[in-house]
Amino acid sequence: MLEPSIDLYGAAHARVRERLGELLERGRARYALVVDRKGFVILHARALGAPKPPSLDSLATLVASNHSANAAIANLFGDAGFREVVQQGSDVGTYVEELGPDALLVVVFDGGATIGRIKVHAQRAAREIRDELAGLRDIEAPSLDFDEGWTESTEKLLDGLFGPRDA
Amino acid sequence: MSTINFAAREINFKIVYYGPGLSGKTTNLKMIYERVPGDSKGEMVSLATEDERTLFFDFLPLDLGTVNGFKTRFHLYTVPGQVFYNSSRKLILRGVDGIVFVADSAPNRLRANAESLRNLRENLLEYDLRLSEIPYVLQINKRDLDEALPSDMIRKVLDPSGEVPAFDAVAARFEGVFEPLRGVSRMVLEKLAQKA
Repeated sequence: MLEPSIDLYGAAHARVRERLGELLERGRARYALVVDRKGFVILHARALGAPKPPSLDSLATLVASNHSANAAIANLFGDAGFREVVQQGSDVGTYVEELGPDALLVVVFDGGATIGRIKVHAQRAAREIRDELAGLRDIEAPSLDFDEGWTESTEKLLDGLFGPRDA
Repeated sequence: MSTINFAAREINFKIVYYGPGLSGKTTNLKMIYERVPGDSKGEMVSLATEDERTLFFDFLPLDLGTVNGFKTRFHLYTVPGQVFYNSSRKLILRGVDGIVFVADSAPNRLRANAESLRNLRENLLEYDLRLSEIPYVLQINKRDLDEALPSDMIRKVLDPSGEVPAFDAVAARFEGVFEPLRGVSRMVLEKLAQKA
C-alpha cells in the first residue's frame, strides 16, 4: 500500500474543483489551490480572465513551507498552529487555511477582492473540502502497477536526464 | 511517502540535500539547474541571506518524464547548513523521500560532517523516521582541495559499515553532481515499486 499524503480523485476531485470554482467566482479571487503539506499541488483553479499564474510548484512549496514555519512560531507560544494566515501586499494577497492534517487551501487575490469577502467564501469552501477529504479516508485509493516494465522505463528516463550510470 | 496524484496523473518525490554549512548543497542545485534541459526543470527558488547563505531552503522541481501515463517528478530541496537554523532544517525534512548528504572534504570540517549527520538522524526521528529506512547517498564534495582528507576516511566516519553509496565530487566544476542524484532517484523509485 502506498502512502500518499492525500489522494483526491474521481467524483470527489470533481466536487472539490467545483468548490474552488465557486470560491473564485464568489470571492472574486484570482487563483485557488489545494496543496499538500509537503508542497505539492493537488488541485488548482484559475478565475476567468485572470493572468497566467506564476510557477505553481514554487507557489505551493513556498506556501507549505511558510505555513510550517508559522506553525513553528505558534508552537513557541504553546499553540498548535495558526488555522488561517492572511498576507496582503499592495497588489496581491494570499489567504491560507488548513484542510485537516495533510492539506492547505490557498487563495490568491488582487485589489478587486476584499479580504472579508475572501475569508467568508474561503472558509465555506474549506469546510466543504475538509468533508470531502474526510470521506475519502474510508475509501481505498486506486492502485498502480509498478511492474518490470515500469522499472525499465524509469531507468531509461534516468539515463536520459542524468546520463547512463557508468558514464 | 511519495505523493501520487491520480487526478493529475503525477508521482512526486521529495529529495533533500543535507550537510554542514558551506559543504556545497546550493552549488549542487545550481549546477543541476544549469545542466538539465529546459523542458525538464521548473524555476529554482532560493531563500538566502544577502551574502548568499541559505536562510530557509533552495528548491528546484525536475520532471523525469512520463511512465505508464504518470508524470514522474522530483522536488529537490537544500537545507540551511548553519548550526543555528535547525528549526528550518526540521521543517524541510517533512515528507522526505530521499536524501543526498553532502560532506565537505576539508580537514577542519570532518567534525562538522559528523555533527550534521547526527543532526539529520535526530531531526528525522521527529517524524518517526530512521535514516536506515530512507533512500540515502553520500556525496563527498570538494575533492579538489589541496589538503582534502582521503574519501575513505570521511566515509569511515559517516558510514562505518560502508553500505551507503558514496560519490566523490567537485560540485563547483560539475564533477560528481548528477551521479548521487541519479543514485538516490533510482533508490526512491525502487522503494516505491517495492511498496506497491
